[in-house]
Amino acid sequence: MTRWLSGQEVADWAESLVPGSVARVDPGCCVLKPEALVETMRALRTSPQSDLVYLTNLCGVDWWDHFEVVYHLQSFDLNHIATIKCEAWDHDKPSLPSLVPVFHGAWMQESEAYDLLGIRFDGHPNLQRIFLWEGYPGHPLRKDFVSMPGGLQPGLGEFAGINPRPEPPTKVVG
Amino acid sequence: MSNVIKSEPFIVNIGPQHPSTHGVFRVKATVDGEKVIDAEMVMGYLHRSMEKLAEERTYTQNIPFTDRTDYLSSMSNNLGYVLAVEKLAGIEVPARGQAIRVIMAELQRLASHCMAVGTFVNDAGAWQTPVMWAFREREKIIDIFEMTSGARLTCNYMRIGGVAFDLRPGFTELVEKVLREFPPFLDEMEGMLVGNEIFIARTRGVGVLSPELATNASLSGPMLRGSGIAWDIRKADPYCGYEQYDFEIPIGYQGDAFDRFIVRLAEMRESLKIVRQALDGLPGGPHSTQVPLALRPPKGEAYARVESSKGELGYYVVSDEGPSPYRFHIRPPSFINLSALKEMTVGGTIADAIVSLGSIDIVIGEVDR
Repeated sequence: MTRWLSGQEVADWAESLVPGSVARVDPGCCVLKPEALVETMRALRTSPQSDLVYLTNLCGVDWWDHFEVVYHLQSFDLNHIATIKCEAWDHDKPSLPSLVPVFHGAWMQESEAYDLLGIRFDGHPNLQRIFLWEGYPGHPLRKDFVSMPGGLQPGLGEFAGINPRPEPPTKVVG
Repeated sequence: MSNVIKSEPFIVNIGPQHPSTHGVFRVKATVDGEKVIDAEMVMGYLHRSMEKLAEERTYTQNIPFTDRTDYLSSMSNNLGYVLAVEKLAGIEVPARGQAIRVIMAELQRLASHCMAVGTFVNDAGAWQTPVMWAFREREKIIDIFEMTSGARLTCNYMRIGGVAFDLRPGFTELVEKVLREFPPFLDEMEGMLVGNEIFIARTRGVGVLSPELATNASLSGPMLRGSGIAWDIRKADPYCGYEQYDFEIPIGYQGDAFDRFIVRLAEMRESLKIVRQALDGLPGGPHSTQVPLALRPPKGEAYARVESSKGELGYYVVSDEGPSPYRFHIRPPSFINLSALKEMTVGGTIADAIVSLGSIDIVIGEVDR
């Protein structure tokens, strides 16, 4: 059974490998400072204690005022998995360092996060839109992207209670 | 005077509509003579922005989307998503529901690997016979799905808290038939291909991935195991009671296209073993727990993964206590397995690039989402 590492455990390792790299510790995850991200990730990958050799998942989340990139890192030999996050606080021009120098598997996933969320990854060898075409207006997974070009509304808002369907006009009998 | 013929690099477009790309996917290959010197992927032709659409729908309404990511293994995709939501909401699934899920996921792996193996051999040049044999077997499994869930490909069968319906009468006989008729088919496939000189010449040493590269590029499934890393989520992080079943993880040793093919064939035999055990020990009781239709999981996030036929399929779901997920992210194995396409194809010939691409077993619905 894979052991989910607590945020404190990961933070202790990160702090001992690269002092001053941890920004915040949550119960389930460890938030790293962007400037120390690449160095810490490389240290966590090579250290025999953490052995986080496999980047399982990388995705971005829009929290209205900031962006968060979530990394799930797995160790094969020790069979544990860590959740590491990094935050970009400039919501208009979010940017974070790229992990491609450490994990080749970050290449495609970072391109996807750039395309759909607009997070720039500095140091990415070939950062361009991967699903949508160059010149597409906006980044669709952002929370403030509410209408598609042409005025189409995404989703069935009335089911979620966000956008209630207007009442049908009552029929006047007689 | 030199008699060396000079060649200039030029670009060959493989795709978007080409049988070997298994969908609408394009590889811009720069070739010098017959050698590929650069390969660039162009994708997104089938992008439907499922992650955005899912943010507007309730948790249960999102299950059909997961069918349509990897439409060749919809059961596994359903399973990954409902596991993530169950983890988020803390829902327990009854034993019968779990066993049914295991049977369905393994039957789906058989069906999906049939497709993978058949089309891969087709790409390698064995025109039509193996793919038709594989389709013949796959059809029996698809019929079981149709009988159980009402749909052949997009099953929409798993539910949060269990499965949609209990098994129909006659289900066991059909699965018994598959279990009886599958091993002869695998023997037939192996007899035709594993010792086949032409097939070996075509696939041995093609698209070689070292274990280091496979790990670093986040590859998963038969791609990772073909390179000799025995990593299977079903063993390493069991879900749905996989720890009760006895099965092996087949691995390859050279990391080439042939090894991936062998791993897939061997995995089918292991899947048959799991289906046999799950069917024999199928518990009684309810197939599902009652879950409110407008589920509002507590605030938090969950990442759950399953071993789908293509590799590690993960779902990352964030809840803000609303009726629909705040963020819904799919970790698609096909998409990430393409990370190493350039490393696999550069240096080989165009014909080898086709074999390399076929050995990844991509499904474009999952690559583009």
